[in-house]
Amino acid sequence: MAQLDKTFPTNDCAMCILAPKMIEANSHPNIELLTYSEIEKVSGEAGNFKVKVKKKATYVDWDKCTGCGECSQTQLTDVKESEGETWVDRIRIDEASCIQCGDCTQACVEENKEKHAITNVAFERRSFTELPPEERKGREPETLAQRIALMDEKSRMDFWQRELSKCIKCFGCRDVCPVWIYDGAELEDAEWIKPGQIPPAVPLFQIIRAYRIAGLCVNCGMCEEACPMDIPLRAIHQLMWRQPPESVFEIIPGLDAETKNKLVQAVRKQPKAEKKQPAAKRERRK
Amino acid sequence: MNSDFVLTVCPFCGCGCQFYLQVLDNEITGVVPCKTDEISEGKPCIKGRNSADFINHPDRLKSPLAKRNGKFEPISWDEALNILTKQLGEKKQKYGADSVGVLASAKCTNEENFLMMKFARAVIGTNNVDHCARLCHASTVVGLAKAFGSGAMTNSIPEVEGSDCIFLIGSNTIEQHPLIGSRVLRAKEKGAKLIVADPRRTPIVQFADVYLPHKPGTDVCLLNGIMNLILSWDLADKDFIAQRTEGFEELERKVKEYPPEKVCEITGVDQAALENAARIYGEAERASILYAMGITQHTTGVDNVESCANLAMLTGNIGRESTGVNPLRGQNNVQGACDMGALPNVYSGYQSVTDGKARAKFEKAWGVKLPEKVGLTVTEMTDAALKGSLKAMYIMGENPMLSDPDINHVKKALSSLDFLVVQDIFLSETARFAHVVLPGCSFAEKEGTFTATDRRVQRVRKAIEPIGDSKPDWLIVSELAKKMGGKGFDYKSAEEIMEEIAQLTPSYAGISYERLDNGEVLAWPCASKEHPGTRFLHKDAFVRGKGRFFAVDYKEPAELPNKEYPFILTTGRLMFQYHTGTMTRRVPALERELPTGFVEINTRDAKKLSIAQGEKVKVKSRRGEIEIKALVTDGIRPGVVFIPFHFAECAANELTGRNIDPEAKIPEFKVCAVKVSKGGKHG
Repeated sequence: MAQLDKTFPTNDCAMCILAPKMIEANSHPNIELLTYSEIEKVSGEAGNFKVKVKKKATYVDWDKCTGCGECSQTQLTDVKESEGETWVDRIRIDEASCIQCGDCTQACVEENKEKHAITNVAFERRSFTELPPEERKGREPETLAQRIALMDEKSRMDFWQRELSKCIKCFGCRDVCPVWIYDGAELEDAEWIKPGQIPPAVPLFQIIRAYRIAGLCVNCGMCEEACPMDIPLRAIHQLMWRQPPESVFEIIPGLDAETKNKLVQAVRKQPKAEKKQPAAKRERRK
Repeated sequence: MNSDFVLTVCPFCGCGCQFYLQVLDNEITGVVPCKTDEISEGKPCIKGRNSADFINHPDRLKSPLAKRNGKFEPISWDEALNILTKQLGEKKQKYGADSVGVLASAKCTNEENFLMMKFARAVIGTNNVDHCARLCHASTVVGLAKAFGSGAMTNSIPEVEGSDCIFLIGSNTIEQHPLIGSRVLRAKEKGAKLIVADPRRTPIVQFADVYLPHKPGTDVCLLNGIMNLILSWDLADKDFIAQRTEGFEELERKVKEYPPEKVCEITGVDQAALENAARIYGEAERASILYAMGITQHTTGVDNVESCANLAMLTGNIGRESTGVNPLRGQNNVQGACDMGALPNVYSGYQSVTDGKARAKFEKAWGVKLPEKVGLTVTEMTDAALKGSLKAMYIMGENPMLSDPDINHVKKALSSLDFLVVQDIFLSETARFAHVVLPGCSFAEKEGTFTATDRRVQRVRKAIEPIGDSKPDWLIVSELAKKMGGKGFDYKSAEEIMEEIAQLTPSYAGISYERLDNGEVLAWPCASKEHPGTRFLHKDAFVRGKGRFFAVDYKEPAELPNKEYPFILTTGRLMFQYHTGTMTRRVPALERELPTGFVEINTRDAKKLSIAQGEKVKVKSRRGEIEIKALVTDGIRPGVVFIPFHFAECAANELTGRNIDPEAKIPEFKVCAVKVSKGGKHG
């Protein structure tokens, strides 16, 4: 209602109707707001109800939270509100998509030096990643996306080079993708991807694939499931949600000179000579 | 509207991935991966994903054809079978049963191969029955049978994942057995060491810890060199050798003659790499050897296989999980076709035709007298046809006009036959020479079983009705056999044939459709209805009792390069096409990737001959000449060129020679001398 603005039939401002009610409820001595919670069971009768509430883990200490909203401005929490909105009750970490970079924690710590609200698991994980490798042994391992996110540029490039070199071009990742609308173009363009070659142009083949579905990917993970060579394709998309694609692969197929240079270098890393072709052709077209 | 999902087995390589065929109103609409399949885990390769596309191709043969005045005319089944009965009967009467040759097929089911073998032996009365295993793993069947007593992959595919050291020799695993390649990479992720020996830089080489690019044909020397180092460093498994093997002293003496310096000179590999490989393999807890055509397709094929067996026994890497000597069989049912006795010297289950007891068993079961003499092999049949002693041939689902060495010779041989019948799903290069062509069924239109490379027997299920007037191959063979007076061919279904196979074949005794349909994974030997199948062979004892070492000497390949023919030609396959391309060249997705062949040549050699990338060149051998596009690459040894054999328009086998291994009769596809020159039409 609040989001719809004017209210039929009186054309009252919706917020003007709602806000006093909300303030009233919030400040009522007998009312406690439980956010991100679900009612599991209600028993008893009027005047004597018993309610079982499940409070989900938010990784936020609500007594300490000041509602500054700094954490929601980092890339990784899923409270991407539009400008000005800092709905404290929506600040939570979706464990399924958290790559545990710790940026939200950092933001919280910086804003509230004394009493930071994001405390428990998220904060521990943040400190975990900063431990030297020998101390991490025997403790919870990092996720793959976390590992990649923490790599420096060179090792990240080497990682992808190695993983993507496993590709046998079965097109399984493309064929099973629910958001890939087939038009036969990109991956079958002989100018970019030379037909009949194993592995197909590394990393161009997978970059083109990832870009094609960048905004549409629902992280269903079918691409990774379908990959006979176990390439961590899902990690590409997880990272691309959170970080600009160029930092996933360290290159972006744009047109500025530096980027193009990186692309050419990446392509040249392959031992076979004819892989230079795509870059050369692009230059001519330009 | 009827829709169904039919679980079946991929018709391409020997991995034996299962998937579902999606059927809508008797038409196949797609392939759906099967997540519960142990091998593919729901992740088939590109050939598997597109394996339904050729089934409904307009080129499919839809009725029997007879050649009249040089043209094929459709005829009825009755007419076709009458011609066959008359012609084959006549040849048998006039020239004796051995004037007829039969080729079974590694593409067809176990049941069909068994029936074809029974037809040749019981109805025609000849042991002249063979199939294309002669051209791929004949040396394995002979070599491993001599060393261990059983000529098959010793361990199973999933076990590869658990190895500490994987030694790949002469196998382009990622391209030819993608799902085994994936297992190799998984083992590598877990920390296994990978050694690759191959003259070509195949895609798996970039993951290798040690890469040994040896000269084609020097495998024995390389393996002897590795064994020499293992012995001199005292890494051999002495207990294993003492308890479970024989003939070790002889091997020890022989191997001493191969010091690393000499080996490196002959094979052309780096000594440090050789030492590294020997150390890794020798020290590994569970080492697994994987090999393929690079070992077998030589005049020394059996020697090569024996050397692999020697190496495994020397370090005790056999008879345990994730170890062994593992020949990767190239076709969906080449293992099965061998098991079914579609070979000139054995009945099903490798029971020798010269063994009176085995013969008596089959004679009793079939109620006929069976021939005693060992028959002709594929390679010998073409020679016999040319000589005139072989008058008629019945070829089921094979394409020797592309797959056999020296095609011009094959062409002469086939055209000199009095009568040739080809049974296939498409009008192949070979079928064009036939007098009568019979339309068989693809894997989607019949019931049966395929045996994958790791001895795993799996069910092939019928998804749609046969296309046009085509018939399942087992039905054609049994109808023909009945017409020719054969007894015991009244099968109502493929299942009945399997029951007969189980009765007569000890290693298949416990295998039945009922058990397979219940989802049991059965790898032979499976001795009884209760037997769970065998994951890895030679556990406590070798099949032949003790493992036998063979002291083998390095012999040079039959045809070495000289001044006139300075290059070594080695042939092979590629990811996107399959064998002679009868099926894959009709699949748009695959044909798009690789529409034609090429010759791979080293950058240095290309520079010397001033050959540019993509230029048309002439490749000539003593037997023929082809025109082909050049692919200049650093991924191949200087002095060696590579041509895939899939493509009829630039057929590598026009060049290859007919030099064969004396024991296994396998031709040397991997080494022949050629000349490369500029001057193709557009060059």
